[in-house]
Amino acid sequence: MNNVLYIHGLRLVLVFLAQVLIFRQATYSLEGIAFVHILYYPMAFLMLPIKTSRSLVLLIAFLFGLCLDFFYNSPGIHAATCVFTAYVRILVIAFLEPFHGYSLDDSPTIHRLGLGWYVSFMSILLLVHVFTYFSLEAFSLVYFFSIFINSLFTFFASFAAIFISQFLFRFKH
Amino acid sequence: MHNIALIFFRYGSHILFVALEILCFFLIVKYNQDKRDIFINSSNFYAGRITEQGDKMKQYLGLQEQNDSLLRENATLIENLITIEYSSDKIPEYDSLYTGFSIIPAYVCNSSIHLNNNHLTLCKGSREGIRPDMGVIASHKGIIGIVRNVSENFSHVISILHSQTRISCSIKGRSGHGSLIWTSPDPQRMTLTSIPKHETVMKGDTVITSGYSTIFPKGILVGTIEKIENQAGSNSHYITVKLFNDMAGTNYAYVVSNRFAGERLQLENEVANE
Repeated sequence: MNNVLYIHGLRLVLVFLAQVLIFRQATYSLEGIAFVHILYYPMAFLMLPIKTSRSLVLLIAFLFGLCLDFFYNSPGIHAATCVFTAYVRILVIAFLEPFHGYSLDDSPTIHRLGLGWYVSFMSILLLVHVFTYFSLEAFSLVYFFSIFINSLFTFFASFAAIFISQFLFRFKH
Repeated sequence: MHNIALIFFRYGSHILFVALEILCFFLIVKYNQDKRDIFINSSNFYAGRITEQGDKMKQYLGLQEQNDSLLRENATLIENLITIEYSSDKIPEYDSLYTGFSIIPAYVCNSSIHLNNNHLTLCKGSREGIRPDMGVIASHKGIIGIVRNVSENFSHVISILHSQTRISCSIKGRSGHGSLIWTSPDPQRMTLTSIPKHETVMKGDTVITSGYSTIFPKGILVGTIEKIENQAGSNSHYITVKLFNDMAGTNYAYVVSNRFAGERLQLENEVANE
């Protein structure tokens, strides 16, 4: 149990540092069509164990987002997005529940729950996260088209980053 | 109390979610200047949109007035242009009393082009200062006709597409002058006669009004030379001129009023009567 706590704590910190130090710098502008951010961090709290208390996930997401906001100079935006995504995560986990149910120490990883499950889980939540983020950033649905385009490009870039990192770093239990 | 605790235990995560989101929104609105602006103005955006649509509608209904004002503006510009053509060698000081010509804009109410003798009716008359024997031009490019009769609100104009039309014209950059007449049934083409054969004229030359009459000021562009024929036994060129303006599509016209016309005609008549 201590081991699990340690691993997830370490992941949260490492992902946070990776986002703030590396991915924050990597922002492209596609010739005025769209901005491509790489939002790598949702993965950190999305990959908490499935049986983690809901309130705990929400709190972790909130604190995580708030810390990010200090670096992004956007108080509240990342926090609100993270809390929302963490809330949706509960629903998505229920929605994607396999036939035989989850076992007690399942984490949403590829080798635990399979590639197909992981891809649908991560893509749904990432899409929700990215879209919420850009909506809150614009703070008005007037800019719907640019929100939509930005979300689309950012989603693909972020998903690629998260997916590749899954194969690069495996947290072995 | 037990129930409240139970509810909180059961729906704790949802309550926490709502509470955290409210906290976040509070942070967003409080610490992000631009977000606050949007928060305050977002509702105004829709109101603004509706107002804009209303304005557009109003603008459309006011097009007539706008056209009128543009027409007046054009008239002033043409006046200036004529002034420049009139005293071609120097840039003139603008003085409406000095130029001698003023322009009255008017709508064309009625016109024909397919008859042998064509006429137009303008929707302005003596009330706006239109008098018989004033010239009517399309803009600085193209002439339309000469005012014949005037009522209080309407003017009757003899089109240049009229068998009796004789307009004194010259060719830009060359000496000599002739009369512009309409012989063909083609409303785009007129004939310039009485230009002596010893004058050189070229295809493509520009025909302008000569300014020898009191009707048109000097230098109004009329058309370009399309064809030059030399008829045997005649002393002058027979020149086909393609008009600049399309007489069929004339909606607006400008009446040229020559301030000194009366004085000049009086003087010329005195000489003729002696």
